[in-house]
Amino acid sequence: MDSLIQIVVSGLTIGATYAISAVGLALIWGVLHMLNMAHGTLLVIGGYTSFVAVNMLGLPWYLGLPASIVGGIASGAIVFYVIVRWLYRHQSFEIGIIIATVGLAIVVENLLVKAFTAYPKKQPFFVDGGFRISEILVPWQTLIIIAVAVVLVAALAWLILHTGMGRAIRATTQSPEAARLMGVPVGRVYLQVLLIAGAVAAISGVCLTSIVPLAPHVGGTPMLKAFIVCVIAGLGNLPGTVLAGIVLGLFESAVEYGAGARYGFPAMLALVIIVLIWRPYGVFGRADVTRV
Amino acid sequence: MRLRAPFTLDRDIGIGLALVALFAAIPWLGPSKYVVSQITLFFIWATVVTQWNLIFGFAGIFSLAQMAVFGMGAYTAAMLALYLDWSLWGTMFLGGLMSVLVGAIVGAACIRLSGPFVALLTLAVAVVMQQMIVTDFECFYKQGMTCYNFTGGPRGLSRFGDFNFKEWLGYGNRHLGSYYLGLVILAAATAFTIVVKRSSMGLAFVALRDNPVLAKTRGISRSKYQILIFTLSAFFTGLAGGFYAGHFRTVSPPILDLSIMLFLLTMMVVGGLGRRWGPLLGCAAIMLIDDALKDAAEWRMIGIGAISILFILVVKGGIAGFIELAVGRLRRS
Repeated sequence: MDSLIQIVVSGLTIGATYAISAVGLALIWGVLHMLNMAHGTLLVIGGYTSFVAVNMLGLPWYLGLPASIVGGIASGAIVFYVIVRWLYRHQSFEIGIIIATVGLAIVVENLLVKAFTAYPKKQPFFVDGGFRISEILVPWQTLIIIAVAVVLVAALAWLILHTGMGRAIRATTQSPEAARLMGVPVGRVYLQVLLIAGAVAAISGVCLTSIVPLAPHVGGTPMLKAFIVCVIAGLGNLPGTVLAGIVLGLFESAVEYGAGARYGFPAMLALVIIVLIWRPYGVFGRADVTRV
Repeated sequence: MRLRAPFTLDRDIGIGLALVALFAAIPWLGPSKYVVSQITLFFIWATVVTQWNLIFGFAGIFSLAQMAVFGMGAYTAAMLALYLDWSLWGTMFLGGLMSVLVGAIVGAACIRLSGPFVALLTLAVAVVMQQMIVTDFECFYKQGMTCYNFTGGPRGLSRFGDFNFKEWLGYGNRHLGSYYLGLVILAAATAFTIVVKRSSMGLAFVALRDNPVLAKTRGISRSKYQILIFTLSAFFTGLAGGFYAGHFRTVSPPILDLSIMLFLLTMMVVGGLGRRWGPLLGCAAIMLIDDALKDAAEWRMIGIGAISILFILVVKGGIAGFIELAVGRLRRS
């Protein structure tokens, strides 16, 4: 019983982090059909913005999260103005964007090493202690991460379902050409989506770096796991992505508990391969979403 | 597609032979040992990039597993030589064959996936492979008090021998043995890509790229050719991996780093994706730039990343595309 609670607690913590990391990726994919390989770097930028705001500018720790949103929006703008706006009209967009965002990720990661050194830092957006369910300690940080994830997903859902901007985003997702003909400024929608995704990534980056050390290279593996979540859910499917994130978090923590920490990621990879062979467009995905 | 096969046949083979002759002559012009070893490294990377270009640029499969395939060749060659005491001359080829197996599996896993999904899955394969090696702490054998892991763990593998050039050519000339072996591998790999592009398989990929629907209705099976090209190109990639292991006499997990992958990806992009001589041009250009930046080590990866972005955004055909454009202009005027 205790081990089950342990698995659920740590599974929900990482699951909630995966869910919100993956939501940003899914949003970008759904609208732009863009595989953002710089997403891991966006996560790390969020973590460092919070670090700078609290440890260097002297803000109280709980303002680390709002501060990271500023950093996230700025990095979303960089991705748009440096890369996306020059590429999105081109035929080779799909492949060009993969290479360009890998390049951007490496550049930013190395700039972060120059600015903060590669030595791991401690995320200041963190609360010590917790409470006990029978013998198992449930850290306060777990509750904070889950609360942040719930609020973030709710805010995103409201933004997409109930605002004019959200309507434009949904129209562009369905068909960029039709949206453009209806007077939707598609280029601006792309910018908005990247700003939103940047902010979401920054917030999930703060949550992430509160459970792993904050260092320039820590974004890579979570990014791949977020990708796996997206692929299992069906790239671009937001509700499915949240659900898949939490399920995979539980799955990973169960595997790590049962077989050892080094088998968590390989097990996820095996799972995604099985899913892709069984349903190439993900569990909740549909084949007709491919842009021709 | 313009039909000018006889002309390109002469030109490509002519360029290839001239390059082989040029590189064969370089050691006789009295370069320093450093230059020779850098050119040997160029042979290795150029082999890997020509094979990657075949999958990525020519067949249009966005595989990022190239370094995993390379690493598989290197590790197989090193482990067989270390544990079974076989000569690296043999294990290098077995490394190539092991890579073929891995290439076939990865190719089969990717078969039903479209572009970006392939990139994700193949990248995940590479990352998982590196993590499994780095986190390998189990004792495989003990020597005195020290414990050695099966894959070498984060330390990597070493002391598994080399190509015996020291015994055959003498201490002073051993680097020339590696140099010429590397040249032979690169020349064979390049000849292989030329043959593939001119075979029915090459024509099938041109057809699938130019008009996928028509190609399919004419009975060209994408999946068959995809697995085939994954498998075939894996051989020389793995062979280059085995050569890497024998040349440097060590293999360690950093060869699977994302930064090395980006380094080679940039070579491919800078040379010109899918272009015949792109990989060689890009490889040479990036290695020269990298060499120029070696005194400012922390700017190295920043420079490489910036170059890859610049070429993707601005010079889309790479150096090879630029040369083609310039030659075309000259002919017309």
